[in-house]
Amino acid sequence: MLIQAQQLEKTVDTSEGPLQILQPINVSINAGDTVAIVGASGSGKSTLLSLLAGLDLASSGEVLIENEKLSELDEEQRAKVRADKVGFIFQSFLLVPSLSALENVMLPAELAGHKGAEKEARELLAKVGLEDRWHHYPNQLSGGEQQRVAIARAFVGQPKILFADEPTGNLDAKTGGKVEELLFDLNKDYGTTLIVVTHDQRLAKRCQRVLQMDAGQLSEAAQDVA
Amino acid sequence: MWHKISFRLLKQELRRGELTIMALAIILSVTAVLSLSIFSDRLQAGLTERSSEFLAADRVLSSRRDIPADWLEQAGQMNLKTAWKVVFNSMAFADENMTLVDVKAVSDGYPLRGELEIADQPFGEGYVAKGLPAEGEAWVASQLFQALQLDIGDSIEVGDSSFKVTKVVTYEPDVGFSVFTDSPNVIIRHSQLEETGLIQPGSRVRFNVLMAGESSAINAYEDWLLPRLNDDTHSWRSIEDGDSPLSRSLNRAERFMMLASLLGVVLAATAVAVAAQRYCQRNYDVVAIFKTLGASRQQIRRIFMLHLLLLTAASVAVGMALGWAIQYVVIEWVAQKLDATLPQAGWQPYVLAGATGVISAVMFTLYPLFRLVSIPPLRVLHRQLTAGNAVRWLQWVLSGGTIYALLVIYSQQWWLSTALFAGGAVAAVLLLGLGRLFISASRKAGMQAGSSWRLAMAGLQRRAAANSLQMLSFSTAIMLLLIVIVLRNDLLEDWKRQLPADAPNYFAINIAQDNVDDLQNMFEREDIPSTDLYPIVPGRLTHINGEKLLDEVTKEDRDDDEAEGREGVGRELSLTWRDTLPPNNELTAGEWWGEDAKPQVSVELNVSERLDIKVGDELRFNLGGEEFTVPVTSLRKADWNTLQPNFYMIFNTSTLEDFPATYITSFRLDENRKSELYELFKPFPQTSLIDLDAMINQIREVIGQVSLAIVFVLVLVIIAGALVLVAQVQASMEERQKELVILRTLGAPGKLLSRSITYEFLVLGAISGLIATLAMEISLFILQNQVFNMAPVLHWKLWIVGPLFGALVVAVLGRLSCYRLIQRNTAQLIRKLA
Repeated sequence: MLIQAQQLEKTVDTSEGPLQILQPINVSINAGDTVAIVGASGSGKSTLLSLLAGLDLASSGEVLIENEKLSELDEEQRAKVRADKVGFIFQSFLLVPSLSALENVMLPAELAGHKGAEKEARELLAKVGLEDRWHHYPNQLSGGEQQRVAIARAFVGQPKILFADEPTGNLDAKTGGKVEELLFDLNKDYGTTLIVVTHDQRLAKRCQRVLQMDAGQLSEAAQDVA
Repeated sequence: MWHKISFRLLKQELRRGELTIMALAIILSVTAVLSLSIFSDRLQAGLTERSSEFLAADRVLSSRRDIPADWLEQAGQMNLKTAWKVVFNSMAFADENMTLVDVKAVSDGYPLRGELEIADQPFGEGYVAKGLPAEGEAWVASQLFQALQLDIGDSIEVGDSSFKVTKVVTYEPDVGFSVFTDSPNVIIRHSQLEETGLIQPGSRVRFNVLMAGESSAINAYEDWLLPRLNDDTHSWRSIEDGDSPLSRSLNRAERFMMLASLLGVVLAATAVAVAAQRYCQRNYDVVAIFKTLGASRQQIRRIFMLHLLLLTAASVAVGMALGWAIQYVVIEWVAQKLDATLPQAGWQPYVLAGATGVISAVMFTLYPLFRLVSIPPLRVLHRQLTAGNAVRWLQWVLSGGTIYALLVIYSQQWWLSTALFAGGAVAAVLLLGLGRLFISASRKAGMQAGSSWRLAMAGLQRRAAANSLQMLSFSTAIMLLLIVIVLRNDLLEDWKRQLPADAPNYFAINIAQDNVDDLQNMFEREDIPSTDLYPIVPGRLTHINGEKLLDEVTKEDRDDDEAEGREGVGRELSLTWRDTLPPNNELTAGEWWGEDAKPQVSVELNVSERLDIKVGDELRFNLGGEEFTVPVTSLRKADWNTLQPNFYMIFNTSTLEDFPATYITSFRLDENRKSELYELFKPFPQTSLIDLDAMINQIREVIGQVSLAIVFVLVLVIIAGALVLVAQVQASMEERQKELVILRTLGAPGKLLSRSITYEFLVLGAISGLIATLAMEISLFILQNQVFNMAPVLHWKLWIVGPLFGALVVAVLGRLSCYRLIQRNTAQLIRKLA
């Protein structure tokens, strides 16, 4: 078991008192799985993703990555887990504006102290079709190109888990389709576990499992959920 | 690895201009501190050198007894130039005539500072003397030609020696200001002193050794000499010990420069603080991304620390180069303009400037950096997440402490720094409150206005917290600018008042009673402005309240150390009488006599303090053997800055009018009429003239120098102020961007948006200007009272200029900064924010 969530809950304080965003959630994800989390806006999809990735801490319950309890790690140790095992793709791309495409892709590997980061990054850029644009900065790239750079960055260092938050949400249908294609191709090549939060039915359909989020409650949806 | 990432980020951020403001702020603070301190160091040294001319040296060692030869040798060994100046009174004879003269026996090198000027004819045009009179020759003052009926080439006898008069002395740098005590001067060689036979044990001689050289050599010699000096016999003087109008002007100028530079440094530091905060805020997203990708706090800390260090180092280097260049150019210009060379400054300004840059960069970035590092990775999903405010007090402590430390380091005066700092802190709190009040008032006004205005006021109100901080720095910048400008004007005005263009440039003394009417008629006929004629009766103050006064100047003159008595003036005084209080005199105690015929006296304030005289005390005077006692009925403050006769003791007419008197007056004769002087005064052969022009010119020149320095300081402070404004406007851009996107998307026309932004800044600037003016008046009142000893005045004009200036400058800066924002189309803006 690669990722496990046990009785995972998240409550936040609001001006009208505590608000429970996630009801107790139990889910297990195997290595190599592709999992889509779908649901309406505000249903708690992104919150679940942030807890599974160790970006945030649960109010109660537990997240285990390769049997390591995230709640027992401090922020630095969780960062280390992310550096070693996790890659991310975001709706708003979140490239570092002051770094070129190549430097953005190299970044996770460099932070983790990997040698040969540049070679690996160049190969990945070639795979996403941007080998000629490695020296361009994010503001010189289109939305689709930026997301391709983000995909290349997500795979650098060959993470075991890839979290994608609405990866095609900011793109038009055609570009979104291409990006989606790329994501799944690379995922297949690298054998990564993919957890993707999305509104995009077509994208969800390509995953082996679809989890339905509804007002903080998670349920396994039938594969043909639409 | 992390340093590579750091370099890459830095390179691109520099290229994109993200760090420009911060770099500029650091550069400016270094440039300002360096150029100002080198400039004021060099100027100060230059001024001291010039003022040293009043001593004709950098230091003077004086003694009533001969000075040991090895003390001079030691000075020579320590690379100091030395020259003798021995001064004493003696009678000078020429044929049947005789008069009391001041003999000045000087050795080669005299004067060590300044120039001795001579002429070929009495009252002739002076030129710089090369060297000294030859053996057997004497150079004498113009007055002596009148008194002894001399011509050039005649001989005078002084003591046992005879000297041929070859030149007329027109200007001696060390002649001083005293009008009454000086008899005409006779300059002879020091080597001929002994032949005169006038230096006997007990004779009243003052031995002086003039010294000049590098200040380090002087200080070293001072250390060697001081333990050897006997307080009773010796005195060791520099120009700063003097109480001349010049040293007072210098003091004020120095204080002004110091204050203005301090304000400049505070402004530059503020700009660094604002820019640093903005820089860190802009990197919140980057840090969140880094953390999400697995960066540790340490990595992030290192990456951004390195940024800061590199940026600081580069900016400090640029600032140093720039500061050096600026002061070099300015100094050259000043030197050229004033026809003077200014000595080099030491290494201290460089250390000071470097320290200022590093301290302000590091200390002001520490807290923003601390917050930056604590940005949670979750920000990648929730953009509204920022760093915690848990240790906000740290920011106040750090920035407050830094500003205070900079003040102390720069001024090296903890009391001035503390006063400024405490005043500033109180003002800041008041300004913050006032700012909020104004903003909420303007919102109400805005509700009744057109849509651009309404939008502007709503914007102001919405950003009230941010705006009142922003307003604080706008107000501070404008206030400091106003203070510096006003203070400069007041200072210059004050100086001008002291030395009006029509200030008297001659004293006429020894005017005979019979000549008084004729002289006054002559002044009228020739249209020569003059002061009243004051009678002078020489006399001694012998007793206060029946207590006998010591007659000697210093203790060493006493033959008997056990002699008892109260400290006196120690010399003959020039007494005068008058019915009315002289112009520029002010009663501080008692009453001026009217028609009251009873004998009485009014005493000058300084001398009353020195001799501990109060109203009601009985003073006994001895006038040529005749003694009388009078009560003190008033104390007066005299303005010694004005070039007109002033007196320690003024009597009512009935007390003195029967004593034989000579008269004194001062008058103004324009430069181009100088040649008439000899003819004009021919009918009054007894009268002696003292030329003040040289001294007045010297003071004017120094004031000119200082005024230039002040303009330079002003320019730097203005740049620093502008930088704060720009940094502050830039800092609010992010927020505005978001708002613009929303309004644009909702279809607001560009015109409406640009107008509303302009109006918002206009109001912000006007309010800041108004608050600044108020704060300036209060600060100036305190400063002029406490620091500059000037009469405080209200500056009505600035109550209009301040708000207008604020509105205009802030609106223009804000509008310019937002220009590109409004020009962008909505899609671009959204992309930029995404």
